[in-house]
Amino acid sequence: MSEKIPAARCPRCGRVVAPPTRFCPDHPVALEPASIDGYGEVVSFTTLHSPPEGFRSPLHIALVALDDGARLFCHGAGTRGIRVGSRVAVEAVDAVYYFSHLGLVERARLFWRRAGARGETVTSIAKSAAKRLWRGGRGAGA
Amino acid sequence: MPDVWIAGAGMTRFGKREENLPDLVAEAARAALAAARLEAPDLVVVAAMNPEEFIGEGNFASQIATHLGFAHVPALRVETATSSGAAAVYTAFAVVAAGLSRSVLVVGGEKMTHLPTPRVSEIIGRSIDRDERAYGATMPALAGLITRVLLAKTGVTLKEISQVSVKNHAHGALNPYAHFQEPVTLAAVMESRIVADPLRLYHCCPISDGAAALVLSADRTPVRIAGIGHGTDTLAVRYRDSLVSFRATQDAARAAYRMAGFGPERVEVAEVHDAFSPFELIALEDLGLVPAGKAGAATLRGETALEGRLPVNPSGGLKARGHPLAATGIAQIVELVWQLLGQAHGRQVAARVGLAHSIGGLATNNWVTLLERVS
Repeated sequence: MSEKIPAARCPRCGRVVAPPTRFCPDHPVALEPASIDGYGEVVSFTTLHSPPEGFRSPLHIALVALDDGARLFCHGAGTRGIRVGSRVAVEAVDAVYYFSHLGLVERARLFWRRAGARGETVTSIAKSAAKRLWRGGRGAGA
Repeated sequence: MPDVWIAGAGMTRFGKREENLPDLVAEAARAALAAARLEAPDLVVVAAMNPEEFIGEGNFASQIATHLGFAHVPALRVETATSSGAAAVYTAFAVVAAGLSRSVLVVGGEKMTHLPTPRVSEIIGRSIDRDERAYGATMPALAGLITRVLLAKTGVTLKEISQVSVKNHAHGALNPYAHFQEPVTLAAVMESRIVADPLRLYHCCPISDGAAALVLSADRTPVRIAGIGHGTDTLAVRYRDSLVSFRATQDAARAAYRMAGFGPERVEVAEVHDAFSPFELIALEDLGLVPAGKAGAATLRGETALEGRLPVNPSGGLKARGHPLAATGIAQIVELVWQLLGQAHGRQVAARVGLAHSIGGLATNNWVTLLERVS
């Protein structure tokens, strides 16, 4: 469900950069390819009303710190409701990254996915509880 | 290391100029040479950020040397984006300190106002990382991002940022070399058009033409270069952990203070790189001139005004004096020389030690220079 962002990791300092580059900005060391989740936090954002040639006005630009370390420039459809620190999803459309506000459903889904095996346990407990309730209800009616 | 002295300083008026760049450079160079009472230097160091794109000229050091009548004086060009002028001063300093030359003419300038603003922005914007430029990141856009974080994270207010513009315009109104010689009101700054939200037009320096020059010498004069430091940072802004301070400034300041053997407590006047007004507040704290978190309040209280505790940008700064890119780092030092020698008519402050701070690109290549009057 989450967009994977191509990135690169420095084997010496662990710095993650996106888009991937050949060398670490801090060390003369070749980077290793990495793939990171397109979820993160807005570091900052701005709107240009006279953007450079080739861009539509108004142009919404955000700098997003992805959870896996890299920071990425993105475009957005708008900045309504966006603040420094807002949780956003980042995905590529025609090779351009866009940020969008993470709604309640996406955040819950992300929490579930992050929870991993424990999340699955919780899910199965919840499912069986629901089933019991459903059977119990039918039994009472019969 | 032998001392390096400033023997002469000169500049053109900044602003919209009809003259071509070689003529502007010559005007500044002749003024500095006349002040130094020197006919020809041992070396010419030329600063120009992008004459190839702005005026379609290359091999610019040779062109300037020949234009000045110094065809057989060695000449070279130095470039570090918008701090090219300061980098040229550093180069000349190193040459004199190493004993390779006894006198060096440093001259820098840019000619920009003949081009449409979007074209100028695009040329300057090439000093930004390619992957960030691809998202429409211009210098004002990056400054807008930084301003947003300053407001959200540090307690700096838009009023404090705007007061920097008001102060620097008030200083520029007293400087006959300034691009803008008219004061502006706080309301006019805060209501000016939005350029890169929350940054407004009157928070941004103008596009200017102009040139500035210095003569550096191994022979003693009243003004010594006490320290000079260089700091760098990643080209990509997204590679940095903090947007509310510039590591390149902090590193440059540390190196300059170490060379000088004194710290910010001795600085009595400063010229800082206010290409965008919030950058002046960041610089004051990065340079250690104001305690962390206090730059905005100090500005509102008038501490950095001409009559304040520490006058900052008595020339009007980039905001009002103007910003002909490669001229700026040199013009800052020209202003300090005039201030230290008591020649800053109409805007004179009392100071023996001055600090100049220049930013290259989006703080990728910064310089701090300390001058001291030695009587």
